Amino acid sequence: MPRGVWFSVGVVLLFVVLPFVYGNHDLLFSMMMYLVLAQGINVLFGFTGYLPFGYVGFFGAGAYGMSLAILLLHFPPFAALIAGAAAAVLVALVLAPLLRLSGAYFAIASLAASEVLYYVISNPHLTSITQGPYGINLAAVYDSSASYAVMVAVLALALGMVVYLRNSRTGLALQAIREEPVSAGFAGVNVVRERTRAWLMSAALAGLAGGAYAWHVSVFYPKPVFDLNISVFAIVFTLFGGVATLSGPVVGTLLLYGLYNWIGISQPQYFQLVFGVVIVALVLFLPNGLVSLLRRVGANVP
Amino acid sequence: MIAYTLSAGLLFGLYFSLAALGLNLVFGVMRLINLAHGDFLMLGAFLAYGLYTVAGLNPLYAIPAEVVVFMFAGVILYYAVVPRLLASHNPEMLSFILLFGLSQIIEALAVIAFGNDERAIPSTIYGSRPVSLFGQTFPVAWVVSAAVSALALLAVYLYLHHSRLGYATRAVMASRDEAAGTGINVHRVSAIALGVGLALAATAGAFSAFMLGSIGPDMGIHITTVSFAVIVIGSLGNPLGTVLGGLVYGLGLMFMETYHPSWADLLPFVLLIVILLIRPSGLLGQRVRLA
Amino acid sequence: MCPSALLSVERLSKRFGAFAALDGLSLELAPGEILGLVGPNGSGKTTAINVISGVYTADSGTIRLEGRPVGNLPIHRRTRLGINRTFQVPKPFKALTVAENLEVAAVHSNAGREDIARHLDLLDLSPLADRQALTLNSAQQKRLDLARAMITRPRLLLVDELGAGLNPAELTRMAQMLQEIARSGVALLVVEHLLGFLRVLTSRVVVMDAGREIFEGSLEAAAKDSRVIDVFFGH
Repeated sequence: MPRGVWFSVGVVLLFVVLPFVYGNHDLLFSMMMYLVLAQGINVLFGFTGYLPFGYVGFFGAGAYGMSLAILLLHFPPFAALIAGAAAAVLVALVLAPLLRLSGAYFAIASLAASEVLYYVISNPHLTSITQGPYGINLAAVYDSSASYAVMVAVLALALGMVVYLRNSRTGLALQAIREEPVSAGFAGVNVVRERTRAWLMSAALAGLAGGAYAWHVSVFYPKPVFDLNISVFAIVFTLFGGVATLSGPVVGTLLLYGLYNWIGISQPQYFQLVFGVVIVALVLFLPNGLVSLLRRVGANVP
Repeated sequence: MIAYTLSAGLLFGLYFSLAALGLNLVFGVMRLINLAHGDFLMLGAFLAYGLYTVAGLNPLYAIPAEVVVFMFAGVILYYAVVPRLLASHNPEMLSFILLFGLSQIIEALAVIAFGNDERAIPSTIYGSRPVSLFGQTFPVAWVVSAAVSALALLAVYLYLHHSRLGYATRAVMASRDEAAGTGINVHRVSAIALGVGLALAATAGAFSAFMLGSIGPDMGIHITTVSFAVIVIGSLGNPLGTVLGGLVYGLGLMFMETYHPSWADLLPFVLLIVILLIRPSGLLGQRVRLA
Repeated sequence: MCPSALLSVERLSKRFGAFAALDGLSLELAPGEILGLVGPNGSGKTTAINVISGVYTADSGTIRLEGRPVGNLPIHRRTRLGINRTFQVPKPFKALTVAENLEVAAVHSNAGREDIARHLDLLDLSPLADRQALTLNSAQQKRLDLARAMITRPRLLLVDELGAGLNPAELTRMAQMLQEIARSGVALLVVEHLLGFLRVLTSRVVVMDAGREIFEGSLEAAAKDSRVIDVFFGH
């Protein structure tokens, strides 16, 4: 059995069982959503080293892809969800040339791309297609438990993807690209194809999460599904736990998003302060995240 | 209409050059992108706003205070984190993330200190009569902001090209290692450059209430992105190229706002992506990824 | 073109702005042969390796591997056809272990666990197998670089300044390793500043200056050639 399978099964089962004993299903849903987004960031940043500040663009594309498939094309919700993921993958394909940029340039360009997407979708001139700034209403297909179940499935997919990357030569090839793209070429790795694949996989995860989110909340404005803070949260959760591991993003999300719900909702500025301090401290003292501490004392973490 | 758009574009172009110049100076000297740049500009804006509300001080006279405070902050910030980051195995990415964390801290502290409300300094403090320029009339505050920007740009030019320290700064920009080899104190030069960079941002901040309409603690990330677009359009790492970028951006913005106002918000982002993709020379110099 | 040539390079040119790094370089290499490439700094030796291996694309000229043009192929395609190289400053995958470094390269040559173990052994890396590459010293990183190249089963190996920074014992060992590699039929193009090290490896050298060949023959003859002397000591 590949390493990390039991861990993943445990995490998924946790979210299957928790709704029966814990009443705040919206919190559980958002927790899963961030677990998925954090693993999506992990697939891209952890394995290939590209930091997508504009990751939320895929989430928004998924939410809008799903919603417009229902409103304009009258897709049933499950088919619409796939359309949402397809929309995100399509955006990723269009943006694939950004992967030619290195480091910080890529990060900022991807941020700009997600802003472009936001300003286009929310533009009043496109109201007849996207509802512009007035937002989406999917009340007709609202189904709280079905959308919850879909998010559980997306979470399982996200964890499965990372288990695969952690245990396969594909994952190793991606890490090689992250470390030294030129040497990766001389190891026979098709650098352009592999990194594009990771980019598309990562986009698909965010698209699915966005679609499931749209279905779950069913009424939303463009601003919150293109909110830069969604990218920021997912990135920091991943960094905090530890990139290129399976458990790091999970641990990071459970702890920090837990903390956010404890102090963050009512006092977001204090949470943001803690958040900023955590980021600075991580870079200076623990660049490989919490999980690396456990590894250092000899624990065998997936 | 065209004449108005062109001259307003020129005024705003000068202002955006100043807003972005510090970011480019810091990039040129340290090869790091100061993601907290816009947040320092925001702090500069609030310092000017505070001096105005408490003492009725004209933002023009707040500039000396801005320069002293932010020079100092820049030098401290440099010695606190940068040498340590440069020694790590991935300085570019780590410094980027660290400065992002710093930007979060600054924004949070600003919300805690000032609240979330948007603030403004009435532009009538320079009198309510508009100024006539190139046959067009503009608010005095715009003209004052643009004039201060032009003076600051000139001062940076003189500093870089006609002072010993500026000469050393340009040597470090050309090659950090070779500058160190010729006996230049690279850390000192870099620390001062970061101080000058933040002081320039803060100076631009003092006029942001006029040029950007209002100020608020969350304006930082937008300013950083716009500034990054400006320096990419001009020339990354070349402070004086910023003026070109600022003018292109200022004119572009005014034309969009005149003729396609609902799409104007897209401008900096589209420009940024297009320039990064079609004219990447000089951008990829440090670590080229093979396409 | 010589029919037995594995690599044949014809009139290769590469400019960087106004600077002609390569200006019509031609050379040929047979299987199992070791060819030394020497010349003063900036004469285009490393550019030659970069262009032949695919890091840069030449402005003009042809590169053939067994008659097949490879000059427009991306790096991984050339690697799979049998071209590989080492770097003057080794570029291992720093966060990965030594064994993982080789595993990355093993994928596309279908090399198995035994092959990885054998290459670790061949280059004295077995005791370091589970160490992160960034903890290796420079000599160890050079051997890892070579192992990463060798596990792809190259037929042409481009070696860039492998001797620099090695102590005499390491140099002797490295020379033995390169000779073993050549004996197995691999053609080696060796850029080297350390002429003593090169002399142990081969008698045939090409001397470059300003991006072109100015001499081809034995090292001994090169040392007596007036053009070569002029290039190394003239200016």
